[in-house]
Amino acid sequence: MSKIVIEPSKGIRLDLKEIIQYRELLWTLTYRDIRVKYAQTAVGFAWAIVNPLFTLVILSFVFGSVANIQVTGEGGVPIPHIIYTMAGLCGWQYFSEVLSQASSSIIGAQNMVKKIYFPRLVIPLSKALTAFIDFAIVLIIMVICMLIYQFTPSSNIIFFPLFFLIAVISGLAAGIWMSALTIRFRDFQHITPLLLRVGMYATPIAYPASKVPEAYQGLYYLNPMAGVVEGMRWCIIGGDQLNNYAYYSFAGILVLFLLGIIYFKRVERIMADIL
Amino acid sequence: MISIQHVSKEYQLGMVASGSFRQTITDSFNFLSNIKKPKKTFLALNDVSFDIDDGDVVGIIGRNGAGKSTLLKILSRITEPTKGRIELNGRVASLLEVGTGFHPELTGRENIFLNGSILGMSRQEIKSKFDDIVAFSGVADFLDTPVKRYSSGMYVRLAFAVAAYLEPEILVIDEVLSVGDAEFQKKCLGKMGEVARGGRTVLFVSHNMGAVRTLCNKVIVLNQGQVIFQGSVEDGVNKYLEIANENTSDQGEVSWDLEHAIGKEEMKLTKVQLLDDEKNCRATFSTAEEITLKVEYFLEKEVRNIRINLRVLTGDDLILFSSSSHNSEPTIKPKGHHSCTISFPKHLFNNGVYKIWLQAGSPGYKELLTEQVYLKFFTEKYTSSGSMKDADLPGQIAPILNWNID
Repeated sequence: MSKIVIEPSKGIRLDLKEIIQYRELLWTLTYRDIRVKYAQTAVGFAWAIVNPLFTLVILSFVFGSVANIQVTGEGGVPIPHIIYTMAGLCGWQYFSEVLSQASSSIIGAQNMVKKIYFPRLVIPLSKALTAFIDFAIVLIIMVICMLIYQFTPSSNIIFFPLFFLIAVISGLAAGIWMSALTIRFRDFQHITPLLLRVGMYATPIAYPASKVPEAYQGLYYLNPMAGVVEGMRWCIIGGDQLNNYAYYSFAGILVLFLLGIIYFKRVERIMADIL
Repeated sequence: MISIQHVSKEYQLGMVASGSFRQTITDSFNFLSNIKKPKKTFLALNDVSFDIDDGDVVGIIGRNGAGKSTLLKILSRITEPTKGRIELNGRVASLLEVGTGFHPELTGRENIFLNGSILGMSRQEIKSKFDDIVAFSGVADFLDTPVKRYSSGMYVRLAFAVAAYLEPEILVIDEVLSVGDAEFQKKCLGKMGEVARGGRTVLFVSHNMGAVRTLCNKVIVLNQGQVIFQGSVEDGVNKYLEIANENTSDQGEVSWDLEHAIGKEEMKLTKVQLLDDEKNCRATFSTAEEITLKVEYFLEKEVRNIRINLRVLTGDDLILFSSSSHNSEPTIKPKGHHSCTISFPKHLFNNGVYKIWLQAGSPGYKELLTEQVYLKFFTEKYTSSGSMKDADLPGQIAPILNWNID
């Protein structure tokens, strides 16, 4: 029988062990989200395809056909703009799904939070897992595009899982921050959609980051997804090595992630009282 | 064993905690410029200490706002105490509300697993108890139906069944028994008894003194955040009834002058009284006479759609029935003195003690009068001329029914 001591907490304990103890809850919540979102209706599944597909077509039209930005792959060979955009979009799509779902996740689960004890971090974590399904769907669309355009991915593809991991951490970092901030200050409910809308254009999804004027490069890479999206595309279509700024931004993501967990833990203590 | 030592919980009043970003920023500037806004705080629990032995079934009772729910929330680790320390052995399962985490779109089967793991059961554990849970809930035929199609009774039964098989060392229950039909409630009480006999500890918060009497072997009475009694059930229940009826008159009438009248916002309750047929104020009635309740109040300004709610409680604080001045027509009451009367028909009450509970508000808008018991009255049943001495028929009410006998 385990002995439990309940006291006002002092300092921050990350208690990763406890989250591992509650992993079954994590799976169950993930399963619930997937089940409710996709398995319920055929339409739900269709939306998961239609959404990224439309984004893809619009971005590719605006940047490829209207702005006529030429994009190149390995050795400066021109490649179809749609493939280029898709390679950029997959990471962004995952990030934006995690961020938008996670930021409202605690408020959405307030019935549970107010009535039952469990490590609250499980809730945003489950959103990052649920979004794997969306990511898989986007990857399938990408493979279909590649087959249509008869495009062979670069050999850099072996690094793809590594960059995807950075995308997961990045999505979690932003999601955990926003979920905690949204509970503390409801104003942040309105900030997440704004961030996502700005991020859509301030991320090199449909254009190369090198197009951004040199003077703004430092500022540009403050967007954590800039480096991640460039990196994921480098894995798929090859081409120029990553900008140095990208590596700084990876370090930044890690710091943001750890600080996010600490802030979340601080808010966790008063969560049930202020929800 | 649960050992609670000097536990206090302080809440900040107002919108301090979940305020706006702007407010936090301005507050920080106030701090810089040394302007200190006094923070209003409220002690929900004030230096609470007690011990509970393994296998005890403890009733925690007290009026609304006494701190019972806060105590349970701290015990189930939903919120932290501000001061103090609690030590306990084993898993705490709280049934603060059954069915937490149930998703309406999912089937009964899926919700059993979902709810079980939210409550802290492993998948293996749920699987091994699955058949028992289903049997206990009695919804076996609807296992693959989404719970949104369940009746509310089925929903509650399934939810309680999952929780009942959690088998924690410490079970915390807050008023679950107010739901479900009588038969199911009996089943739940039986299950709780079983849990207790199995040597596990149960903490039971309830306003139902009947349930507390049958289930508990110890009682803790909380009042305004402090423990004012711990010990035997009978003494505890009496202590509770004593404080619960502090504001209750057994003279058949309570009244206040306008200055001291009870009420929130623009409503002031000035008089509540019980009258007999001849408009005499009394506290003891015969069950054979009509009893009239008269409520007088003053409105400081025009009020829309005022609704007065009435409950008649038994001596044990069980709700016997409720009634409301609800009228589907929108109404506007002008400023000034108003009154209303409610008549209870003859031959409704049995021999006994009853209480009048009142609350008023403007629905969906605001509360004008907080709920409270105002009057206590007594009814006596006089034996009729018949040979059957019907003064002692058991029951909370004693209506006269038409018997057609062939």
